[in-house]
Amino acid sequence: MADAAIRVQGARKVYSMLGKPKREAVSDVSITVEPGTIHGLLGPNGAGKTTTLKMLLGLVRPSAGTFEVLGADSTHPSGRRSLGFLPEQPYFPVHLTARQAMRFYGSLAGVDAQGVREQTPKLLARVGLADAERTELSKFSRGMLQRLGIAQALLGDPVVVILDEPASGLDPVGQRDVRSLMLDLRAAGVTVLLSSHQLSEVEAVCDRVTILNRGVVAAEGDINVLLNVDGQSSVRASGMMSLPPRIAELAENVAVPGGVWVFSIPTQATRRVVDTIDEAGGTIIAVAPKRESLEDYFAALLASSDGEAPS
Amino acid sequence: MIKRIWPIAAAVMTDSLRRKVVYVVLVFAALLVLAIPSLPDYGLGVEGAVFREVALALSYVTGLVIALSLAANRVPSELEKRTVYNVLSKGVSRWEYLVGTWLGVLGVMAGTIIAFTVIEMVVGYLTYGELMWRLWEGAFATWLEMGVISAFAVAVSSVTGPVVVVTATLAALFVGHSRSTLLGGEGALALQPFVPSLDAFNVVNPVAHGSGVPGIYMVSMLVVFFGLVGVCLSLGVLAFGRRDL
Ligand SMILES: Nc1ncnc2c1ncn2[C@@H]1O[C@H](COP(=O)(O)OP(=O)(O)OP(=O)(O)O)[C@@H](O)[C@H]1O
Ligand SMILES: [Mg+2]
Repeated sequence: MADAAIRVQGARKVYSMLGKPKREAVSDVSITVEPGTIHGLLGPNGAGKTTTLKMLLGLVRPSAGTFEVLGADSTHPSGRRSLGFLPEQPYFPVHLTARQAMRFYGSLAGVDAQGVREQTPKLLARVGLADAERTELSKFSRGMLQRLGIAQALLGDPVVVILDEPASGLDPVGQRDVRSLMLDLRAAGVTVLLSSHQLSEVEAVCDRVTILNRGVVAAEGDINVLLNVDGQSSVRASGMMSLPPRIAELAENVAVPGGVWVFSIPTQATRRVVDTIDEAGGTIIAVAPKRESLEDYFAALLASSDGEAPS
Repeated sequence: MIKRIWPIAAAVMTDSLRRKVVYVVLVFAALLVLAIPSLPDYGLGVEGAVFREVALALSYVTGLVIALSLAANRVPSELEKRTVYNVLSKGVSRWEYLVGTWLGVLGVMAGTIIAFTVIEMVVGYLTYGELMWRLWEGAFATWLEMGVISAFAVAVSSVTGPVVVVTATLAALFVGHSRSTLLGGEGALALQPFVPSLDAFNVVNPVAHGSGVPGIYMVSMLVVFFGLVGVCLSLGVLAFGRRDL
């Protein structure tokens, strides 16, 4: 199958430095990203996300594995020409203004002067830096640098965009903007691969995820399938002083944040629970498949000694 | 290829314009040039020669300081700050990056040496009433040698930090200029072909005292220049290409 947008097979990286023990950052990672989709690379700190992406971009020499973007070997410079990349915590020559930086990266990406002039204001506006075009980067905040990093990754209309922790350093509004930006990109047919450890981000935009832990793929697939707890539903209801006894005997993980009852129940009992709440004069706010929090998922991953996905 | 090398070289050049060391060294050296005529009198006729000799030495040292400070720092600081990620992920190959950096340093060297030689010409004319066109031959040779030195420094800087680069480059400079001293003895003489020499770029004598540098010598200097730069940069690219960034 040569039609995948990004294909990583058997990636492995052992860092070896003189005088230090060897360190296997990535043991065996394979990722396939279908064209026009948003794919999430999830995992706790140190799982090997950044290392995998760096190998894909030829920044780190793989110890093993093949790396392809649109069918071309991406460890080779010519295989990266139709690709945009946001490094983790991007940094720039700080004496440049945002516009000068865009011109510099644009020229490297093969965009001509005219094209850069046209794209720069659009891209900067898109990441919320419209007012900062002439500001020197030394005066940029951490979040502004992150935004500029996203803007420069989009220079030259890349068909594949790789973002390492795009939301890091951004305020909630910025994070939302980045999410909608990724959705816009997908709507325009662009393939996006992003790494993250934020469930909300991944959940909101990703079509599929690959979960990494300790350098191996712990799970792969649809985020909803991966994190939903089989047979359990989560209920939110308000307007009750206490839980009716018929519910109390079923409910688990009960919490009452701000007067709203939150608890999980077996899915087949949903009808009965809803009726009971009605009779008790409560108001149902939501009934949804119960989802394991990513924190719990990661904790379970870390606890399981073999690094396999928790059941 | 050139579309990607050029912006990298241009970035090195514009960056150098902001560096104080470039100006400080230039101003300091220019002041020294002004002071040369007040050196002890060597008698009529040789004054101009002494001026040329000291002027060439000064522009050599100026060039060396600037070349080292630029070439030794550029790549390590880009690696440390990780600004290089944005560059290399754009489909720029590592060799294009190194060659671009070197070309940038070479450009700065050209600017510095030209500026300096103009100052020398002016001071020489005002003091001795003589336009010393031959200084340009010396300037050209100095520029070529600085090109080789910065190629060496850039190559070494792709694998280590600035301190090691400066030390290694000064050591290479020493070896490069003392082949005949180091390997002059009968026993070691045979080893000479293995030691690359920078003496080819030493034209102080013909420029200061003689009748100038013959055209054919200029050409052979260029051959040495391309040969040594080629070897340095190739080794640098080989080492840099194997590196994890
Ligand atoms: N240059 C390096 N030399 C040695 N070890 C490294 C190097 N870079 C990363 N590592 C190690 O490789 C492992 C994976 O690191 P990596 O940066 O890929 O994790 P990550 O999943 O991106 O984590 P995070 O969520 O914190 O960004 C870590 O244990 C780290 O210590
Ligand atoms: Mg990371």
